Amino acid sequence: MNNRKLKQLFASAQKDAAPAPPEDFAADVLRVIHREPAAPPETVSIFDQLNLWFPRLALAASAVIVVCIALDYGLMAVGVPSLSDGAAQLSAQWLLTPTGL
Amino acid sequence: MTGRLSLNSTETVTDDAELLERIRGGATDDFAEIVRRHQSRVFAILHRYERDAHKVEDLAQETFVKAWRALGQFDGRAPFEHWLSRIAARVALDHLRREKRRQNEIGLPELGDDALDWLRSDDEKNELDARGAAELLDLAMRELSPADRVVITMQELEGRSVKEIAAAIGASGVAVRVRAMRARAKLRQALEKMAKENL
Repeated sequence: MNNRKLKQLFASAQKDAAPAPPEDFAADVLRVIHREPAAPPETVSIFDQLNLWFPRLALAASAVIVVCIALDYGLMAVGVPSLSDGAAQLSAQWLLTPTGL
Repeated sequence: MTGRLSLNSTETVTDDAELLERIRGGATDDFAEIVRRHQSRVFAILHRYERDAHKVEDLAQETFVKAWRALGQFDGRAPFEHWLSRIAARVALDHLRREKRRQNEIGLPELGDDALDWLRSDDEKNELDARGAAELLDLAMRELSPADRVVITMQELEGRSVKEIAAAIGASGVAVRVRAMRARAKLRQALEKMAKENL
């Protein structure tokens, strides 16, 4: 089978006519659509949107946690108090004093 | 395909975008006009992958129902018919995957005498009629994977660009080019095999 013959086959097949849609095809489609349990296409609830975004949000949250832990270890290594120490110090000095909250 | 929709006595809508806006606004029955405008094109696309007219009708219905469900995702940047054609190509791809499994169970239909004669002939002037050519291609393309078949059909029979095919099947342009090249080689082999087997 050479290229010319293959091209000839494609050219002839291109001329093959498709079946005509039945008269009531559009009405049939509409009937199926009316039976659809889903809401109209323009209404997307906040829960649907959250659902769509969930994998990305979960990934972003995990990335933030990993960055925080890495930062904490990094700061500890250079002698800066860790985040948990910092938070304890903050609450002891400012929040839990007799004049604080 | 009718180009105009009479919505009431004083108003007509010729533009798809305007009509789609009305549908999104709640005029769901206007979707019938969208179907009427594009049904011939959708039938023509699906007929490239399925010879049975009843099955083509079912697939066309599936295409429009999917388009309806996804209407919220249509952003109007490309013409609606391009977007709809992509949905039709994906419906065809899913159909071919289902048929591939079935084909393994029931086998292939036989080739007609005219197509066989043409296949064996070396005479360049010998031409095969459109229907015979489509049937022969349909049979040979069953040797291809569904994705290969969609790529070669869109490229050779529908005259689509690599970019359009890539968008329809969700692949890169390079992947489409490579797939098209391999598919053409496989198709040629399948046709040669058919000619030899039927000697």
